Amino acid sequence: MSEFLAPTAFPIRDDLAAAHARAWTHLARPGTWWDGAARVAIVAETRQASLCALCRGRKEALSPFVIEGIHDSLGQLPEIAVKVVHRVVADPGRLGERWYRGVIKGGLTEEQYVEIVSVVAHVVAIDTMARGLGLDVPGLPTPEPGSPSRYRPPGAKLGGAWVPWIEPADAGEGEAGIYPSDRPPANIMKAMSLVPEEARSFFDLVTHQYLPGAVMRDFSREYRAISHAQIELLAARVSALNRCLY
Amino acid sequence: MVTGAAEGNGGVPHGRLLVRFAGAVLSEDENVLRRARDALAAALGSPGLVDAAGVVGLFNAIDRVADATGIPLEPEKAAASADFRAALDLDRFAVAARE
Repeated sequence: MSEFLAPTAFPIRDDLAAAHARAWTHLARPGTWWDGAARVAIVAETRQASLCALCRGRKEALSPFVIEGIHDSLGQLPEIAVKVVHRVVADPGRLGERWYRGVIKGGLTEEQYVEIVSVVAHVVAIDTMARGLGLDVPGLPTPEPGSPSRYRPPGAKLGGAWVPWIEPADAGEGEAGIYPSDRPPANIMKAMSLVPEEARSFFDLVTHQYLPGAVMRDFSREYRAISHAQIELLAARVSALNRCLY
Repeated sequence: MVTGAAEGNGGVPHGRLLVRFAGAVLSEDENVLRRARDALAAALGSPGLVDAAGVVGLFNAIDRVADATGIPLEPEKAAASADFRAALDLDRFAVAARE
């Protein structure tokens, strides 16, 4: 048993600890649209969001739009990026397309937006698990130097989501391996395909922290210490608490 | 079980403890979380608790990806889940209904 998070009374599977370590390394590297320093700043801001008084007030309000104010941010990111990080962390269940369009009109590119969502999601997955086990969250990674690749998949286009995505038929060499070859991808797999490196990294985490895609519906045996039924009950309860229909 | 309104285990072994644990992880009450964690660990052992915490963490993230990108429910899933979505009034969470 490896110990990415910390020595614990609850040992973490080696494959899962290795996936966490890969994810943490990934977050510190230059991304596709943000450099390593900015990505680590997004990691830090993700944690900061839970301390933000404005976010708390908006979360408790009937509508998040009735409360004005300034986010309690760490000051390392553009204001528009802080706005996205805080909202996705603190009140995701009430995000709407008009808000998203406003963010893009406010200066973020769609690609930058998707990469922010991915970094936030990586951190939330790992930090929430740590909280569940009563562990300290991992320290911030050290940013790696270098420039973003700025790769936009040529086949990306608007589909059923707010953000452009890649249909399997439009996937080129740069998107190789992001979708299963034996079945159509679920929309959640297409959600971050505008930034393929983020989709790859996040679904590496999904594979080890949840289940590999190929066995999600294999009810002939169990692959974890809890059963498929127990896993799906947890997933459904979390989604209900987050007010997430998907 | 999913909405937290039902008693019992819902036909899932230790279902009540799992639901309570998921809610506790997403709450801010450390005492509630500690009790829920201890109870689940006693029932499932360490490997079960670790996998449960992993699933809670992962879906806390997946929900954010889904909500922030505005992905729709796939037509086949929407059709298959129409009855219990209606029964549980889950469609009020639909992305399309938000501003």
